[in-house]
Amino acid sequence: MDMSTVEHAMLTPSATSAPASGTKVTARACNVYYGEKHALKDVSVDIPERSITAFIGPSGCGKSTFLRCINRMNDTIASCRVTGKIEIDGQDIYDPALDVVQLRARVGMVFQKPNPFPKSIYENVAYGPRIHGIAKSKSDLDEVVISSLEKAGLLKEVKDRLNDSGTGLSGGQQQRLCIARAIAVSPEVILMDEPCSALDPIATAKVEELMDELKANYTIIIVTHSMQQAARVSQRTAFFHLGNLVEVGDTRQIFTNPKEQRTQDYITGRFG
Amino acid sequence: MTDISMDIARPEPKFRLDLTSDAARARIRSRYRAETRFKAYGIAALTVTALFLAVLMFDILRNGLPAFWQHSLLLDVPVAADIVDPAGKREAGAIKGADYFPLMRNALNAAIPGIESRSASKQLTRVLSVGAPDRLRDMLVADPSLIGKTIKVPLLLSDDADLYYKGAGTGIDDRAGRGTATPSGRTGEITVLTSSNDFAEELQNIKLRLKSVADTISRDAGRIERSGPDQAQRVASMRAEVANLANRYQQPGNAEALDSKVPSVLVAINGGLVKATRLDASGITGDVLLPLKSAEEAKPGTWKVVHYSTPESDRKVTDQEVAFLERLREAGAVDRHFNWRFFTTGDSREPELAGIRGALTGTALTLLVTLLLCLPIGVMAAVYLEEFAPKNRWTDVVEVNINNLAAVPSIVFGLLGLAVFLNFFGLPRSAPLVGGLVLALLVLPTIIIAARAALKAVPPSIKEAALGVGASHQQAVFHHVLPLAMPGIMTGTIIGMAHALGETAPLLMIGMVAFIVDVPTAFTDAATVLPVQIYLWSDLPEPAFQSKTAAAIVVLLAFLFLMNGAAIWLRKKFERRW
Repeated sequence: MDMSTVEHAMLTPSATSAPASGTKVTARACNVYYGEKHALKDVSVDIPERSITAFIGPSGCGKSTFLRCINRMNDTIASCRVTGKIEIDGQDIYDPALDVVQLRARVGMVFQKPNPFPKSIYENVAYGPRIHGIAKSKSDLDEVVISSLEKAGLLKEVKDRLNDSGTGLSGGQQQRLCIARAIAVSPEVILMDEPCSALDPIATAKVEELMDELKANYTIIIVTHSMQQAARVSQRTAFFHLGNLVEVGDTRQIFTNPKEQRTQDYITGRFG
Repeated sequence: MTDISMDIARPEPKFRLDLTSDAARARIRSRYRAETRFKAYGIAALTVTALFLAVLMFDILRNGLPAFWQHSLLLDVPVAADIVDPAGKREAGAIKGADYFPLMRNALNAAIPGIESRSASKQLTRVLSVGAPDRLRDMLVADPSLIGKTIKVPLLLSDDADLYYKGAGTGIDDRAGRGTATPSGRTGEITVLTSSNDFAEELQNIKLRLKSVADTISRDAGRIERSGPDQAQRVASMRAEVANLANRYQQPGNAEALDSKVPSVLVAINGGLVKATRLDASGITGDVLLPLKSAEEAKPGTWKVVHYSTPESDRKVTDQEVAFLERLREAGAVDRHFNWRFFTTGDSREPELAGIRGALTGTALTLLVTLLLCLPIGVMAAVYLEEFAPKNRWTDVVEVNINNLAAVPSIVFGLLGLAVFLNFFGLPRSAPLVGGLVLALLVLPTIIIAARAALKAVPPSIKEAALGVGASHQQAVFHHVLPLAMPGIMTGTIIGMAHALGETAPLLMIGMVAFIVDVPTAFTDAATVLPVQIYLWSDLPEPAFQSKTAAAIVVLLAFLFLMNGAAIWLRKKFERRW
């Protein structure tokens, strides 16, 4: 199962020429507890590089919990406890020696509700590169900001008002700004937690288009409630139910020929 | 549930929504009534509150605003060189140290000439404040070349004279004399006789008053008699007094003496003023308050009968002083001006000289100490507790105790300050430094609570966003959460400081309640603060200090409004939508 073939030095970004078929994230026997509640049960999954993997399932099934394990965002919740093993490029991210801040720079995140900083558009994107020392000079920083906005497909809309507040943008623009902010620190993995649930269909289409473009360079994991969205954007789909990973496979196979009865029931709308 | 049930006639459901029956209408009416009633309660409560506030503000402003104005006498003062600078060296020290009293007296005597009696001339000089020469002295020190000249300079009036001009004296009315009046002299005790019964009305008023006094005594005597026989002697003496009074009022022609408990009767004649001490229908005997120009007889209509409607014993100024003050007013020598002195001097035993500069400076120094201690400590404590402290029993204990501290009566902090800062550390008594320390203890819990609330109000999504791009926890807090919480923290701090501004009790405990004339210049100087100054003044008997008290309250309230206004402005300006 472990398809990771390259041993990476600590926290070295993977070479951009790595084959698209490699495994980026590996989880083995991953359990999450919120206090007494067993929220995620024994999840083992491989997530391929430079593709989009969708997590689907009814509310409270643990898909968001698992997503937040991948950049250790669950650490911020005091009662949360994680067991098992999650590796990125073969490296255990729960290794006590690993710096969680650097992990989060490698694994970017986009949240359900667009949450730009209440600062200018420029500052929103520049914040990450600045604290990580990615850009040495003002002109470097400008370059990073412009190229990130460009990659996020937002540059055309905001290039004349980079100093306006990020919170003044529309919901869809705000979400793409958050994506630009995430890719400004050149992560390898981008986690998206229901990124379109607060957006209208047109903004959703734009974000989906953007994800399709980004998958050439990034490993994207998306949690979604919309099965159409999962079917449209993802190459692989994982179905979670009641804390268990029920089934994972190619998106086409999951939606046309699921192996498990529960998956079948969910995607045909019998429950959930 | 199933298709079959569709065809079966549905039984009347047990629970049905009823919108049309009488009971339903009654329910709606009662709901509307309840809503109207609730609205009325709210409006009534608001009205009562607004009324109280309006009455309070009206009363304070009515009492306090006059104290922001002051009266002076604009007199020509001949600056005699031999009095001001006998040595003739024109040294600032000598000019400062000279006795200016003779100059003041000469200027007043020139304004109201002809005052001979010692008592009258004493009363004349008493219309001026002991601080009256201050202005003149400053002018002379600044420009010694004025010595020897006659200069027009405002001389500060005493508190009683000042209050008189502010309307706290007496009502004055007069009527023209009907007969020809003949004074018996120009000064001293004289009689004024008229050819018609000009004083019949005054005499009758006095008789009526005697009758009412007699009736009162008679009623009291009757009550005491009924209550028992043991006070027979007292009753007898009261009866005798009644008989004596009856004897007086039953003979309408008899002359009557006037005392200080009845409205004063005066005669203005030949440019002078006579105060009646005894009168009958056709004449008075009295003391000359302002000397007459001549003792010739005055034709009908050229002289006047004057009344001071408030009895002399009910006011702070004597008839003699009223006469002087009215004469000065007629001469146009009275100057009303804004009371700058109130803001530029420290406390004084003389109300007209007392100011709030000392208290304001003391307040500023004290609050500065408080702010410098409270803001950094309070904010750091709040940030640590809210963002970094582990959630365990110890932090719970700390949190509960911070909330408890916010509810501790302020006097307890004063006792703590007395025990710790004064007795243990030996810091100076009455000092703004100690006051600031004590107020810091008092305000710290408020600021911590406000700051924690402000930090909590920052949406967690902002922190998550920062963590999501790889900021450390500390970076996320200091780069994003704290700046966003800052308006709330500032608002809480200003409210806390406004609380400290109005605090009196703890400062009494550390000795900031002393009478301090000098304006403090350092954190360890003896000082007092505005609310304590108000407390001190409110205790003093002079009526002018009552008005100073209200004026100081107006200043304190102005500062409080200013601070609260600043808090509201900050909140509005930096309010964010997420």
